[in-house]
Amino acid sequence: MTVVGYSFAEAWVSLIRSGRSALVSIGTIAIAFATLGGFLLISLNVQGVLDQWLQAAEMSVYLHDTASEPERVALETFLRSQPTVAEVEYVSSARALERFRADFPELSDVTSGIGENPFPAAMEVRLRTENGGDAAADALAREVAGKPGVSDIRYDRRWLARLVGVVTTARWAAAVAAGILMLGAAFTVAAVVRLSIYARRAELEIMQLVGAPFSYIRGPAIVEGLLLGGIGAAVALLAISILYSMLARWLGSDLAGYAGIGALRFLGLTEFVMMLLGGVGVGAVAGTVASRAVR
Amino acid sequence: MIETQSLSKTYGRGMYALQNLNVKIDKGEFVFLTGASGAGKSTLLRLLLLEERPSEGDVIVGGRNLSQLTPDETQAYRRTVGFVFQDFKLIPTKTVFENVSFVLRVLGQPIEQQRRATYQVLKWVGLQHRLNALPLELSGGEQQRVAIARALVNEPHLVLADEPTGNLDPDLSLEIMNLFRDINARGTTVLVATHNRELIKWVGRRVIHLDQGQLAEPKP
Repeated sequence: MTVVGYSFAEAWVSLIRSGRSALVSIGTIAIAFATLGGFLLISLNVQGVLDQWLQAAEMSVYLHDTASEPERVALETFLRSQPTVAEVEYVSSARALERFRADFPELSDVTSGIGENPFPAAMEVRLRTENGGDAAADALAREVAGKPGVSDIRYDRRWLARLVGVVTTARWAAAVAAGILMLGAAFTVAAVVRLSIYARRAELEIMQLVGAPFSYIRGPAIVEGLLLGGIGAAVALLAISILYSMLARWLGSDLAGYAGIGALRFLGLTEFVMMLLGGVGVGAVAGTVASRAVR
Repeated sequence: MIETQSLSKTYGRGMYALQNLNVKIDKGEFVFLTGASGAGKSTLLRLLLLEERPSEGDVIVGGRNLSQLTPDETQAYRRTVGFVFQDFKLIPTKTVFENVSFVLRVLGQPIEQQRRATYQVLKWVGLQHRLNALPLELSGGEQQRVAIARALVNEPHLVLADEPTGNLDPDLSLEIMNLFRDINARGTTVLVATHNRELIKWVGRRVIHLDQGQLAEPKP
């Protein structure tokens, strides 16, 4: 039997023998990885929403109802000539109403009850943020505000940038929290593996005295850690998958609708494999550290 | 085969378990190590098995200075040594067969070879009918024969035994000593630590007598 086969066979027997302490260890690792996976899942979806909002977040220049056609044309020409402007689209009052009805069909009755169209005509401007960034956009907004026919300007990139900052900070905090949890999980795994080593001490002593290679002496401990970590991560992924599918069924379309995105996104194959390998890795490192007790 | 050069082992300040010991055992020899309790017999065996390291001096086995072995080399060296202890050191949860085949298993030998060698050595010590028994189901003499089988299954060049008959009655002790004589007759160097003078007289081999960690003349 090779050292790998021997280590897996012995580690499996040891896991079964450990019983409750192995379950506690798997549970701790599962909690750590479920937290990490949960953060990852939220982060992926929040990032998706932010990307869409950032793409859509442009300058909206609203026109007075009384704005004349020459004023509109002059404004459009001015905007197109600006280096910070990438694209300009004129949305008439009627088109704005149409769009609202398409986006919010359940509210279409409200608009038909009003009688007249409440939506002003607007120029939707997509900016080149690389040309001067937010400062250039602010200067443009100030200049446009003084143009004839302009009633209001909405420029929401700045608060979105702040939101991105908050999300990034939250993501770092989540990563640190997950790291601390994982460290705790690694300590638990190491403790369980040490207990197994203690239970096998007579066997290990004899192995040492007959000259068994260290790979045979320490291998089972390392593999035991690896199995605990791998099983823990797998349990976490299973829990996240079940929770996600339940949430997606109950809230998915509403959440996606409010967020303005097509659908909620689940972890991809890469994230799945990385988390599984992460569990295996954390367990293997903990097992290796614990196995150093055998000298 | 075995040579100690100015070998000393201390525990704590000035407590000598062995002091400036110079002994030589030739290849194929059968030697008894005697002395009162605390004379240093077990310490010498532990040094020979590299369970401990010398405080001073050297232990040379088969031309190799044991003090200079790395951990991996230590394990490789131990594969060439069989050991038998007074308390047998059998794994209680494994059967007789498993206790012996376990040595070959952890040395990575093929299963068929493990089975064949284990059966042969257990047959040699007369336990072929107790293969599936657990150690606690055996008598003391049978347990010691399992321990001897385990020490021999890897065909070592050197067999060390620390009070191997300490827990056995006189008849079983003679039986075990006969096994050691047979092992020696096959060319294996045997070093047995015992304070049983009757046995030493009965087997009639060279004696190294220790007194307070030093070589001494055997008492009449």
